[in-house]
Amino acid sequence: MTGATKLTRRGLLRGFGAAPVIASCAGPSSGEAAAEAVSPADPLIDAVAIGPGLAPLDLRLNGAARTVEAAPQATLLALLRDQLAITGTKEVCDRGACGACNVLIDGEVRSACMTLAHDVAGREVTTVEGLATSGAPSPLQRAFVELDALQCGYCTSGMLISCSALLSRARGPLSRAQIQGAIAGNLCRCGCYEQVIAATLSAAGERSAL
Amino acid sequence: MSQEEDSLTKNVRLRLGFADQLREVTVTTPKDEPRPWDADSALTVVGQPTPRVEGSLKASGAAVYTHDVRLPGMLYAAILRSPHACATLEHLDVAAALAQPGVVAAVPLAKVGDRLRFAGHDVAALAARSRDEARAALSAIAVRYRPEPFVVDTLEAMQPGAPQVHAAAVSERRTEGDEPGEASGGAARGNVRLGPSQSKGDHKKGLRQAKVTHSATYTTQVHTHSALETHSLVVRWEDPRRMTVWCSTQGIFSVRDEMAEIFGLKPADVRVITEHLGGGFGAKFGASAPGSRLGYAAGELARRAGAPVSLCLDRREEQLCTGNRPDSIQQVTLGAGADGALTAIHVVAHGSGGIATGAGVGRSAFGVYSRCPNIKVESHDVFTNAGPSTAFRAPGHPQGAFAIELAIDELAQKMGRDPLALRLAHVEHAVRRYQLELGRERFQWAARRAEAEARRARGARIRHGVGVACSIWGDYGRAKAAVVTVSVGRDGAIFVRNGAQDLGTGIRTVLGQVVAEVLGRPLAEVTVLIGDSELGPSVGSGGSQTTSSVAPAARNAAEMVRAQLAELAARLLDRPISELSWGTDGSARAGRRSLPFRELCQKIEGEAVVASATRPKTYGAHPMRYPGGDNYQIAGVQFAAVELDTWTGELRAAEILAIHECGRTHNPLTARSQVQGGVLLGVSYALMEARVIDRRFGQVLNPNLESYKIAGARDLPAIDVVFCEVHTGANSTGAVGIGEPATIPTAASIACAALHAIGRPVRSLPITPDRVLAALAGQDGA
Repeated sequence: MTGATKLTRRGLLRGFGAAPVIASCAGPSSGEAAAEAVSPADPLIDAVAIGPGLAPLDLRLNGAARTVEAAPQATLLALLRDQLAITGTKEVCDRGACGACNVLIDGEVRSACMTLAHDVAGREVTTVEGLATSGAPSPLQRAFVELDALQCGYCTSGMLISCSALLSRARGPLSRAQIQGAIAGNLCRCGCYEQVIAATLSAAGERSAL
Repeated sequence: MSQEEDSLTKNVRLRLGFADQLREVTVTTPKDEPRPWDADSALTVVGQPTPRVEGSLKASGAAVYTHDVRLPGMLYAAILRSPHACATLEHLDVAAALAQPGVVAAVPLAKVGDRLRFAGHDVAALAARSRDEARAALSAIAVRYRPEPFVVDTLEAMQPGAPQVHAAAVSERRTEGDEPGEASGGAARGNVRLGPSQSKGDHKKGLRQAKVTHSATYTTQVHTHSALETHSLVVRWEDPRRMTVWCSTQGIFSVRDEMAEIFGLKPADVRVITEHLGGGFGAKFGASAPGSRLGYAAGELARRAGAPVSLCLDRREEQLCTGNRPDSIQQVTLGAGADGALTAIHVVAHGSGGIATGAGVGRSAFGVYSRCPNIKVESHDVFTNAGPSTAFRAPGHPQGAFAIELAIDELAQKMGRDPLALRLAHVEHAVRRYQLELGRERFQWAARRAEAEARRARGARIRHGVGVACSIWGDYGRAKAAVVTVSVGRDGAIFVRNGAQDLGTGIRTVLGQVVAEVLGRPLAEVTVLIGDSELGPSVGSGGSQTTSSVAPAARNAAEMVRAQLAELAARLLDRPISELSWGTDGSARAGRRSLPFRELCQKIEGEAVVASATRPKTYGAHPMRYPGGDNYQIAGVQFAAVELDTWTGELRAAEILAIHECGRTHNPLTARSQVQGGVLLGVSYALMEARVIDRRFGQVLNPNLESYKIAGARDLPAIDVVFCEVHTGANSTGAVGIGEPATIPTAASIACAALHAIGRPVRSLPITPDRVLAALAGQDGA
């Protein structure tokens, strides 16, 4: 690998298929084969080499454009919580096992602890703080409170992210099984799953009644 | 009663009891105590399902937990831990770590020559400008260990010649999370430390009289709390004699006292703040974790660095060092006469809380089947080189309930008796009997038992099973421990202040409801401030005592405020106070004249009307005798239905009916959540969770949340929660606890249902497919 090497965690995690790995490791001067193997629209592949110190990145965070500096090894979770002091997203296991740090990246649910900060360059990140619309809680957030879908509240932001994503992608009426599937990766130690399911069904009902 | 005592008390007639068993009872209360709420009290706010008042903070991400505290100049701490199951520390030098990037302070947590008794034991701590720098610098600490023989298996540790975990006697360490009672005596034999026994009658004689006996060994696993927010604290020195501590704790005042003791400060000079905490389940009393000196580490690092220090354990540390529910090996022997009446219950339990004490098995075997005349329960601690146990939601009880309840079912099977009928024949507690009978109907016990047996008889692949088990817990509401302050300002603003912490149970909301009820104002007008030691003395949230200690104090303070407001109103309306009444909208009325609340408040002389109050000791009114204990015994029963795939051995909890009581249910919405949570914890304990420790290397293999399995949304049974409200007349609001009772009988009821489905017992928790398949294949006990 040359000095211009760029290596992203996402590129590696995408799978061990040779082409994407080679492509993501390839420098600007490598051959056309690598360029063909990836989508030119992928902003990750267009990134320049970063590190070892802090490097800037642009992202949209909860609807606002932000330019921040992050170390190449910093996770999105560390960026949010330690650097930006946006602490609604919780750290519980720090290895993708519990869903407490779930955020939306371009609308998809992702563990912030398993995502490098630089992997969200050019992307839209939504945390629990971004679920409200100009200060007004979303119908899902309201249902969580009204139906008591939280006790200690430490899993709540991750649960809300998983269920919000389900609500925005689901077509037609929701089933319990769909919600159980959506939160299968969200652990709650107080035991609020039933109320989370009820709150999500209630928010979905409210939406379909509109 | 002496004249002096008489002048301090009064008698009130209350209607007490439950369901259709209500009666007039005379209760003696202190003279200044308001008339306790009883069955005739028509309340409009207390008892209504009420969303928790901090809900929107938690659902918006704005709630600040200890992990979220960010202070200017704050440093991050990390701890070096021994990798050995047992080792002597031969060399330790933290100086080199100070030269690492970002490191500001380092302190040893062990001395050369110390025996480090489990893998995860504290060695040294340091603080750096970032978490990454702190963790990276740990490897620069110079340390050398001399590994020693160790034992991590409970049975092995009991053998003569096993490596000795503790060289000297170990005194029992109790927290507010433990059930009140005597600490164990402590005579030791090898790694076995003899515990207290509970005894009545003569169990040996009872066994001699028996026509049928059942004797078997039941084992349970180590269960970790796995609270989502790890143990954490942030320490900021305000000056050399004063500190502020943000701590994820169930006991603000036990943190205050511990920090004051460690650093030689006056308790009043330590301020502790816990605005919100991400679960505790018994493991979060005091500044330190049971297996890690977090309070000293964070405080000393902050002192040396001259900067605030945040110490948040990572998940691995949380699973290793912060407590667990001990395992158990319980030898249960039951005897019954020809008529089916129990003649004896004898339990000998050994359990290991690792390097700590506390492996008792609760009071189920002693207190529930109280018609049995001869009972002896002995429980002993076995030390092993593993992380220390600590109180965990109903310490001892779930493991004790599992063994005695499954043994009762096996005895019933042997005698060809219905296990529910056998229970009813031995339960004296009127509420528990009522609950068992209610459940029998509601769960369709007879029909479901018959259906399950028919399936088993015809060899169906999918089998069903139905079981039942009971809980016992005491009303530990504490007198004079919590002081609540209520104030009403000239602008009508109502504040409630107390230094309690909200574990997630909803105490903030309950306090608001109680005060709103007394003052006749909407809950939205009441601001509840808790979570800070400066807000007045309070109790730790353990032993199911928060609501029963704090809510009556809140009522008493609110009543005093109302009395002052009434006096003011009487003056303004120019009527004698005896004519004054308080409207449900908070207005003061006398004759045809009334004064709305706001107008009245405007006439307050000075800023506000303020009163502080506590609660007296439990009046202990109804019923007068509490089978199973000296104070009021909280009753609960759970019925379980399981589904078993005989091909795969997978056993699922399909349905749980949880019938409980918490005296007067103050907030049915949050109480229901708490019971559901207790049930789910029990399901997880029954079927999934087990800390796995490698015998050869003494290492925990699953200190995480991916291979330590806790129940998820797909493991959720249908949970039917029924509150059977009991008017005990115990205190001014009638609150008794619910947190612990809710999780006690779940695993037991599932094990009994598993016996019903399989036809043979699985006598070890968790009930995993391999054990189920072994039982199906004919191995008793699996």
